[in-house]
Amino acid sequence: MTERRQKFANLGPGLCFASPWVVGFVLLIVFPFLASLYWSFCQYDMVNPPRLVGTENYQRLFRELKTGEGFGKAVFNTAYFAVFSVPLSIALGLILAKFLSWKIRGQAIYRTIFFLPSIIPVVAASILWIWLLDPQDGMINYLLSFIGLGQQNWLNQSREAISVDNVKQIGQSIQTGGPLRVFGSKDGLVLISLWGVGNWIVIYLAALRDVPHHLYEAADIEGLGGLRKFWHITIPMLSPVIFFNLVMGLIKSVQTFTSIYIISEGTGAPNESLLVISLHLFVSAFSDLDMGYASAIAWLMFLGLAICTVLLFRTSRYWVHYRAGSV
Amino acid sequence: MDDIASREEVVFWHFWGGKDRDVVDDVVKRFNASQDKYFVRAIAMPGNNLDTKLFLSIAGGDPPDLVNQDDPIVADWAYRGIITPFDEFVDATELKRVNQTLFPAAQKLGQFDGQTFAVANGLDIRALIYNKSFLAERNLTAPQTLEQFDQVCKQISPPGNEPRDFYAYLPDSRRLWTWGFVHGGRFLSGDDVQLNDASIVAALRWMKQFSAWYGPDQIAAFRRGDQSLPGKTFPLLPVNDQDQHGRYIFTLAGQWNTRDVVDFINRRKQKQLPHPEFGVCPLPVPAGGRQHAGWVNGNIFVIPRGAKSKTGAWEFIKFWIGETNANDAARTCAAGGWIPVSRQVVAEPYFQKFLADNPLFRRYVELAQSENQFTYPMVPGATFFVRKVNAMTEKVFLQPNAPVEPEIDATRQLIQNQISRIRQQYRKDLP
Repeated sequence: MTERRQKFANLGPGLCFASPWVVGFVLLIVFPFLASLYWSFCQYDMVNPPRLVGTENYQRLFRELKTGEGFGKAVFNTAYFAVFSVPLSIALGLILAKFLSWKIRGQAIYRTIFFLPSIIPVVAASILWIWLLDPQDGMINYLLSFIGLGQQNWLNQSREAISVDNVKQIGQSIQTGGPLRVFGSKDGLVLISLWGVGNWIVIYLAALRDVPHHLYEAADIEGLGGLRKFWHITIPMLSPVIFFNLVMGLIKSVQTFTSIYIISEGTGAPNESLLVISLHLFVSAFSDLDMGYASAIAWLMFLGLAICTVLLFRTSRYWVHYRAGSV
Repeated sequence: MDDIASREEVVFWHFWGGKDRDVVDDVVKRFNASQDKYFVRAIAMPGNNLDTKLFLSIAGGDPPDLVNQDDPIVADWAYRGIITPFDEFVDATELKRVNQTLFPAAQKLGQFDGQTFAVANGLDIRALIYNKSFLAERNLTAPQTLEQFDQVCKQISPPGNEPRDFYAYLPDSRRLWTWGFVHGGRFLSGDDVQLNDASIVAALRWMKQFSAWYGPDQIAAFRRGDQSLPGKTFPLLPVNDQDQHGRYIFTLAGQWNTRDVVDFINRRKQKQLPHPEFGVCPLPVPAGGRQHAGWVNGNIFVIPRGAKSKTGAWEFIKFWIGETNANDAARTCAAGGWIPVSRQVVAEPYFQKFLADNPLFRRYVELAQSENQFTYPMVPGATFFVRKVNAMTEKVFLQPNAPVEPEIDATRQLIQNQISRIRQQYRKDLP
């Protein structure tokens, strides 16, 4: 048997062995992916056959983007969440990883403690956070009360910490001596997202071990302090990992669903301030029976993420440093 | 077993769990024992995914024969052909007779476009449950008018923006429906969204005044505290043994909360502790408002498109609501603490005895018979309608700067567009 014939003879068994994955991939990933593209151009309620309506669903989405209703509101809420949760997660993960890399007694225990939250189910963690952020009896407000910020309404008011209205209100409170209310529901959500930073810490810890020691030795000889070494050596050497976490974090933040569904009882409450894209998609599909519109949301979300990822890759050449010989 | 095998199977999906599931299983058992033609197989699907499974089963050609629901889905599902009108397979005279035995509110829950798409099997009514002893100690009585209610609230909880242990009453942003109907409003006329109806606006302004009295931040924080009570305690009830009132003196609550009150009193009696007395009263009415009014919902039976045993399902429905045996239905309602949907079941001696033993519950049953109990709008897009009205109310209620009329107009337009869109999408002349 020639080598070529031998290869073909092996193809059948090879495909058979791979078929569980291939069939699953085609049926559960490729087919829904393509079906949702088709449905995004249809009026479809899951029970009656889909009917082509052209670009009607997309036109509606762009109209809503303009008016700030529906999808527009969801995009704003998602963007606010992503813009604050991703950088904060990166920064916190990096700082904690640096601390946890110190060779001190009980290092493994500390590392385990910081990783533990990541293995707690999202549902349990969400309920726990609802308690922690309770305005009257929650531990977070109790801790904040020591610095005079103990009256935050967190998950039950649609205030955004970083907004013009809020800055004005804070200014008024300072003038009148009233209680300082800074944070609202989206800020609460950002805080909750930091809970899962343990996963990122693990990646940073691995990357920290990979930073060549001679760079720090050279810095020592030059007389650099700890902070400058961190800024000029550690961060540039970790930049590929930071970049990876940035891309993955962006995707994850845009797709966040479970915790928001639980916290807002599936409605995006209060006042639709937690109506993120994934929840808007879910409600449109399964409550409003508008699967066509929901599919269009999914595709715009996909395209939006793809564009953001490409832009991030484009910018990476300016701030991500790969060592010679590495990719 | 042979007997069952020869009968026609009726597959019944419902979402009841816990104690209620035992009551449902008992109804099914009694129905099956009374039958030689049909056999009901009940499948419990607690949680939120019953709808999705139902759509998949219809699309897959194997739906259940009967489904219990409690969301405002009748018009939406009827319009999309997801459920079958009873008029298609039930004799018109019989259907008319059954509908006539139902309370007006129960009838409204099942009608869409002049046809019967659902049959209610239990009603959920709202009224004010209040701490009678607390009022009596202050020489106050249950209010009958909204003006009196305002005065009582201000007397018990004077306006002010400070943290408190309890409030006389705080409106919930999901209850514009209730107060809107009480004020004499209607949310929909034909396909025309009537959120700008003067009575609805007045109801919203009345709710917003509480926010002005006590401060939106205080209200938001206090409301969250209701959900943190141990074991989801009904917030009207005291949590600690030494307390004589809970977080509120008045709460707008459903009839199921009377069970909590009775359990609380029994617990105090067991501990030989004093307990406050509680009362139930209809919602206080403003000038020009509706007496004994409110928003009603309930559990409804629907028959999915493609169901195989529609007549079997219909027989089971009649059995459940007491059309075939009112005494049996009376026992079911008493066991579950459910409000019957028909006069004949309420009139049963067994149920009358139950009402005599449960005076708080009795007031709810009286209200259930009122013509002024209204449902969510029966229109395609009702779930969207409800969601947007609730969100708008929350915004107006909890954001002091949010103006009432512009918010109402914007929301009205949004809902109107959604209804028009659905109407347009399902035009019969389109392919």
